[in-house]
Amino acid sequence: MTEDTSIGSDTVSRRRVLGASAGLAMVGLAGCGGGDTTTEEPEDTPGNGSGDTTEAEPTPNGTELEVLHAWTGGDGAAAVEKLTSMFKEEYPDLATNFRPIGGTGNVNLDSVVARRLANRDPPASWQAWPGQNITQYGGLLANITDVWEENGYTDSMNSRAVTESKLNDEFRSMPLGSHRMNNLFYNVHVFEDAGIDPDSVDSPSALLDAFETIASETDAVPMAHAMSGPWTTLQLVFQNFLGMHGYDAYMDYIDGDGDKALLVEALETTQEMLSNYINEDAATISFTEGNQKMMDGNAATIQQGNWAYGMYRAEDSGVEYETDWDWMEYPGTEEMYMIHIDAFTFARDTNTPVKQKMWAKFLGTKDAQVEFGNRKGTVPLRTDIDTSRLTPFLEMTADHLANYDQFPPTIAHGLAVSPEALSACKTAIGNNFSGPYDIEAAATGLMDAVSQ
Amino acid sequence: MAGSQDTVAGPGASGGHATGTDRRERLRRFWKSDFVRSSPFWLIPFLLMGLAVYGGIIWNFLISLTDYEGFLQPPDYSNLDFEMYAQALADPAVFSTGRNTFVLLVAFTTITLILGIFLAILIDSDIRQKNTVQTIYLLPFALSFVVTAQFWLWMYNFQNGLVNTVLGLFGLGPYNWIGNPELVLGAIIFALIWQFSGYCMVVFLAGLQSIPNDQFEAAKVDGASIIKTYWRVIIPQLKSASVSAAVVLMIFALKIFTFLYAMFGTYRPPKGTDVLATLMVREAFNLQNWAYAAAIATILLAMGLAVVAPYLYYQYRARAL
Repeated sequence: MTEDTSIGSDTVSRRRVLGASAGLAMVGLAGCGGGDTTTEEPEDTPGNGSGDTTEAEPTPNGTELEVLHAWTGGDGAAAVEKLTSMFKEEYPDLATNFRPIGGTGNVNLDSVVARRLANRDPPASWQAWPGQNITQYGGLLANITDVWEENGYTDSMNSRAVTESKLNDEFRSMPLGSHRMNNLFYNVHVFEDAGIDPDSVDSPSALLDAFETIASETDAVPMAHAMSGPWTTLQLVFQNFLGMHGYDAYMDYIDGDGDKALLVEALETTQEMLSNYINEDAATISFTEGNQKMMDGNAATIQQGNWAYGMYRAEDSGVEYETDWDWMEYPGTEEMYMIHIDAFTFARDTNTPVKQKMWAKFLGTKDAQVEFGNRKGTVPLRTDIDTSRLTPFLEMTADHLANYDQFPPTIAHGLAVSPEALSACKTAIGNNFSGPYDIEAAATGLMDAVSQ
Repeated sequence: MAGSQDTVAGPGASGGHATGTDRRERLRRFWKSDFVRSSPFWLIPFLLMGLAVYGGIIWNFLISLTDYEGFLQPPDYSNLDFEMYAQALADPAVFSTGRNTFVLLVAFTTITLILGIFLAILIDSDIRQKNTVQTIYLLPFALSFVVTAQFWLWMYNFQNGLVNTVLGLFGLGPYNWIGNPELVLGAIIFALIWQFSGYCMVVFLAGLQSIPNDQFEAAKVDGASIIKTYWRVIIPQLKSASVSAAVVLMIFALKIFTFLYAMFGTYRPPKGTDVLATLMVREAFNLQNWAYAAAIATILLAMGLAVVAPYLYYQYRARAL
């Protein structure tokens, strides 16, 4: 017992330790601020993980085929349920793991995929919009060109879908169905009350005239619109753009070669619609609530992708095709099919390369496309199906898909523009075109977005 | 932790005449000290916690110094710089979201505190059905953001929302609470105040009830008015309660992301409500600008620390820590 284990150490109390460690933390932070570059690399830095590729070997049933999708509710859930049960019937011994990840517009799915890809733990396959959207995954996607060629999908799929499924000249994605974007759904009774002949509405300016008539003749709002996110307005602006200036001007725009004056005109028309003819509670509602307004006759029209049809078709919807609700091509976009594609894409460097291709092949089959389409309201992208297997409304849309020549790809759903550009477009609309309207700033933002 | 002196004194402190037996003796005593013997109980959680929280923070900070983006390349830690911070400070989006975050933080915290103290004083002055009223006020705090965000969205509906209906009775409005970028942040702050003022009230109520009645009586005898009694005698004693309530409120304000996401279902809330947290998530998970998002996260952390640090210092000074 020497005196040096002294009482003095009693003063090294908890408070001292706290104070000292706070001081140390400050010094440490300051040290970091000095810009030291002696940091160790974390041990799990990947790079050597992809070496053990046993690709060519057919995988027996050891590893599950993991598929992520975003169809969690309603018609989407029923459709994907049918799809997966058909797949399991086709390949009864295959271990699979289908995982739904909910959220509107694939937001949650995309962030789960982003996290898993960044952690070098990719799912075998996931639902993704093809086209420019998958450029973000460049270098990580499996090449499924052989599946396309062996099954003749290169000839039997819609030509635009063929183009959009490629990345760096190889097929990386397999489309399952298409939603059409240039729709104007309308309530038949409201149109009758207002005395409007749908055939006479053939341009965005004629649509504005019709809106004026509806506003003065009926109690209904001329157009239901939802603005709780910017995508619906982004979509509407480019419907007007396409309707006013045509296919070539639109394609020039998405190629980064557009004419700003034309864009300003489209924005002006859109502003007139949004300022005068939409429901006043647009800011707080989603498109499903907007759609309900049209179905109830509280709104005359709604511009949406044809997923809106899913609500009309539901058994308790209370509306009938052609007697209560009807459809026209968005005015000015006749003979065009603005295309949106739901597809699956496939990761490279997984343990299930063979199963992935079975899944890819299955997605392209007529049965998968028709059965899924009938439930989800998507149009099969195969041009050689018997369209009478589809519901009447889808049959018409499928005929258009098979016979039209112009398929402008959608901007708001990632086919036409990269994720960065899409984000910039949404910022331009969200900040400058969701009331109060600043056309000049919105046009500049939209032009800058695609020219990056 | 009375036995902790052994650990701190250490071998270095033993003068020049330390012998072998001496050292062994001290080692044995160290080994048997409370500090070491209790370590299985605190060291494991301490390490887990330290790794998960502080390790995460440090790693995030390191990533923010790299140029990490996309999926193809792992972060390159050999070349660290503050480029992302420079970029963030020059980014108008960071400025506007930072401003929104700050306004939210300050306005929400201040108003909730004032309201909480007011409610607590009311409840403390022996009203009828005191417990019931207290529960009613506290209840919103128990609800999840997912629930409250959705029904506030309905209440703010322009046409048939409760808020505009009630204001309409007084001939006001209707106001476009969510659609108007000048109103929407206020509307969100109001919803948050509604949810948290009850909590704040409970914290103050506990403080109030620990103040002996004598002080009220003494103030009364001295002829102080009720307002003066509270202002001069009672409220100053609630200082520590208000500091701890304020910190909890500020932390909730920084967690606003959940509320906004539940309300709008997207990482991009309407103009006027975009905060640092939503911007960070968009940069990271929509655009894979990992390093840039990490820099924004660090800025958010720095804002949070700047808010909490004075509180810690105050507690430390008051010998409560």
